Amino acid sequence: MDLREDSVGDVLVLEVKGRIDSSTAPALGDKLSDTLGAPARRLVLDLRQLEYISSAGFRILLLAAKRAEEAGSRFVLCGLSGKVRQLFDLGGFLDLFPISASREDGIAAVR
Amino acid sequence: MTSVETTIANRLAELTRVSALVNELAAAHRLPADPVADMLVALDEVLTNIITHGYSDDRAHEIRIRLTVGADTLEAEVEDDGRPFDPLAAAPPDLGGSLQERRVGGLGIHFVRKLMSEVAYSLVDNKNRLVLKKGLTARREEDSGGPA
Repeated sequence: MDLREDSVGDVLVLEVKGRIDSSTAPALGDKLSDTLGAPARRLVLDLRQLEYISSAGFRILLLAAKRAEEAGSRFVLCGLSGKVRQLFDLGGFLDLFPISASREDGIAAVR
Repeated sequence: MTSVETTIANRLAELTRVSALVNELAAAHRLPADPVADMLVALDEVLTNIITHGYSDDRAHEIRIRLTVGADTLEAEVEDDGRPFDPLAAAPPDLGGSLQERRVGGLGIHFVRKLMSEVAYSLVDNKNRLVLKKGLTARREEDSGGPA
């Protein structure tokens, strides 16, 4: 799993490339915790290059979304497609997480 | 029909070996990508559950995985000597509720049930045996070689 950070104004865009599974989820979880720990953060998680996610990945995403809500931060996912999107759907996450169609939409949504 | 079998230790680091074996088998038989992807997720979830929750000691254990390619199915049989546990008897997760109410417990098994065509559990000689079957509904990828 590779993480790439970009800042667009006060919005942090984190792109995840590769796999979020039981071995890589902790690192992403830590990164999300660090980012969303401070209040009023604006984060877009771009999953365009995500090839694989398992329940371990959903666990840390759910935790991050809860933390964001508690801290008054805004957190949006974008770039869902294919099998990754199917798992979000099967897990009932399409209605639960704020999801944008594109990175640009995501950045606008969290501002 | 082709079967391959491997044994892994109860360590998460071993899971890449299992994925590699599935991918090798899939490539050798030119299996369609979608069912293979589903099997990879299902196996990941099953094995992660066994390794993470299956044992009440700190000792090394072996988990046996047998992969079988049939005419229209890809099958995985997983056998472990952890605590007797029927994942199919577990309550399904609550997919409703607000963000703060939502839990991830049961999500892995939920994926297994939804992604696989058939799942069966039995306790054999005091070992947990889980059989995952995925229908290869798409035709196998044809050989596209040859003159145009």
